Amino acid sequence: MRLGFFLSEALGSMRRNWVMAMAAVITVLISTAILGAVLVTRDNLNQGATSLKNRVMIEVFIKDTASPDAVQALERKIQGLPAVKSYKYISKEEALRRFRLRFGDKIVENLPINPLPASYEIQVKDADKVDAVAAQFFNDPTVDNDPGTHNGVKYAAETVRKMLGTINLIEKGMWVTTLIFAAAAVLLISTTVRLSIFARRREVEIMRLVGATNWFIRWPFVLEGFLTGLIGAVLAAVFVYFGNLGIHNWIQSSQINFLDIKLFPMFWQGGAWPLGLLPTLAILGAFLGAAGSLVALRRYLKT
Amino acid sequence: MIVFEDVTKIYDPDVVGLLDFTCHIGKGEFVFLVGPSGSGKSTLIKLVLKELMPEKGRILVAGRNLGTLRGNKVPLLRRNIGCVFQDFKLLPNKTIFDNVAYALEVVGEPRRSIRRKVPEILSLVGLADKTNSYPHEISGGEQQRVSVARAFVNHPPLLLADEPTGNIDPETAVGIMQLLVRINRTGTTVVVATHDRDMVNRMRRRVLQLEAGRLVRDEHRGSYDQVTDSEEEEA
Repeated sequence: MRLGFFLSEALGSMRRNWVMAMAAVITVLISTAILGAVLVTRDNLNQGATSLKNRVMIEVFIKDTASPDAVQALERKIQGLPAVKSYKYISKEEALRRFRLRFGDKIVENLPINPLPASYEIQVKDADKVDAVAAQFFNDPTVDNDPGTHNGVKYAAETVRKMLGTINLIEKGMWVTTLIFAAAAVLLISTTVRLSIFARRREVEIMRLVGATNWFIRWPFVLEGFLTGLIGAVLAAVFVYFGNLGIHNWIQSSQINFLDIKLFPMFWQGGAWPLGLLPTLAILGAFLGAAGSLVALRRYLKT
Repeated sequence: MIVFEDVTKIYDPDVVGLLDFTCHIGKGEFVFLVGPSGSGKSTLIKLVLKELMPEKGRILVAGRNLGTLRGNKVPLLRRNIGCVFQDFKLLPNKTIFDNVAYALEVVGEPRRSIRRKVPEILSLVGLADKTNSYPHEISGGEQQRVSVARAFVNHPPLLLADEPTGNIDPETAVGIMQLLVRINRTGTTVVVATHDRDMVNRMRRRVLQLEAGRLVRDEHRGSYDQVTDSEEEEA
C-alpha cells in the first residue's frame, strides 16, 4: 500500500475542501462531545450511587445486660452471614466518645452513667440484601429490642428501597441516553461524509475509468474520514475534560461541595473502563469517520 | 483487439443501444465510429470498458471475454485501455502533472519513473509549460491534450476516444487528431467515435457507421457519408 500517496491525497483533499472538512470535524466534535459528557455524567452518577449504597449500614444495639459470651455469639453470627461485607464493634465508651464529638462535652459531663449501648455496625455487600440481613437480628435475645418491636436494629429500610429504585432507574436511563447519542453521532457523521463524497462522485467515476481498483479509490477517503473523526474527537475530549474540570472546581468552591464530583481522567483510569476520555473518544471518532467513508462510498464503487 | 459478436444492449425502457452488432477491429487499426447521436457509438465504447454489460452476445477485448471477466479484474482491463472523452474528464483538483501521474499511480508505478514519464508525455502533447496549471486554467484544446496524455502515458494497446473533438474548435481538433494518429503509429489500436465529418473525410481510415444500434457500413479508407458510385465518379 502506498501510504504516502494516499495520505497526501487525503490531506490535499481536506485542504481543498476545507469548508466541508471543517463541517465534518465540527459534526464529529459536537456528537462525540455529547457522548463524552454523557459518559462523564454516567460515571459520576454511578460513583454517587455506589457511595450511597456503601453508606447503607445496619446498626445492631446490644443489651447492657448481655454477657460477654452472648456478645461473642452475636459477633460469630454476624461473621457467619454471607451477605455481610464488614462489621465493626462499637463499645459503650466509643459510642460516648462519638456522642461527645457530636454534641459537646457539656451534656456528657452532666450524665451520671453512660446511657449509650454498645453496638455492631454492619456493612452489607449488596444494598439489596439489607432487609434480609437486618431481619436476622429482630428476635435475637442479645439485641436491645423492646418487647414486641425490633427497635434494637436500625437501618433506613424505606429510604434504602427508594434510593435503590431511583439509582437503578438512573443507571438504565443513562445507558439508553448513551445509546441514543451514539446512534445520533453515527448518523450525523455518516451523513456529513456522504455529502462530501457526493460532491466528489465525478472524481470517483474518473478514477474508475482510469483503472483504479476500488481500494485504491477508497484509501484516501477512508484516511480522510479517519483523520476527520480523530481531530473532531480529540477536540471533543479536550472540551469535555475542561468542562468537567470547570464544574468540579466550581462545585468544590461552592456551598454544595459535599457533592463529590469525579474528574474523568484524560488518558487512563484503570478499572472496568480503563481508557480515559481522550483515547475512548479518539478511537470512537476515528472509527466512525473511517466507517462512515466506507459506507458512503459503497454506492459509487459498484463494479 | 476488439471482437463484438451479435451484441445487443437495450437500455431500460426499450431504448436500443446496440442491436445484433458484430464487428472485428484488428490490432493496430485506426477506426472511426460514425453515426447520429443515439446511434450507439458511446454504448459501444462503454461496453468495451465494461461500464455496461450487454443483454446478448459476446465481447472480446485483447482476447479476454468481458462476459466472464470478474468484477475485480475490471480495473486491470481499464489500465490497458486509454480513454479520451468529449468532456475531458480531468480531476479538477489536481494539476496537469498530477492528472497524468494518477494513471501511473493507479498501476503502482514507482515515483521516480512517474517523475520521468509525465514530463515526457506532456512535452509530446505540447504542454511542457503547463505542468503546474489546473484544468480550469487552460483551454479546452489543452485540456483534451492532457486527457490524451493521461490515456497514453501507460502505452496501452488500445485507445478509445468518444467525441474527442466535440468541444474543441476545428483547428485545435486537427492537433488532437494528429496526436491520435501518432499514437496509432506506435502500434496502439485507436477507436474514435465522432461527428466530425471533415475530419473523417480527410483522414480516409476505416469507418464503421452505426444507425439505431445497427452496423450499416464498414468501409476501409472510408468517408463520413456513404459515397455512391456516381458521386465517386464525379470526384
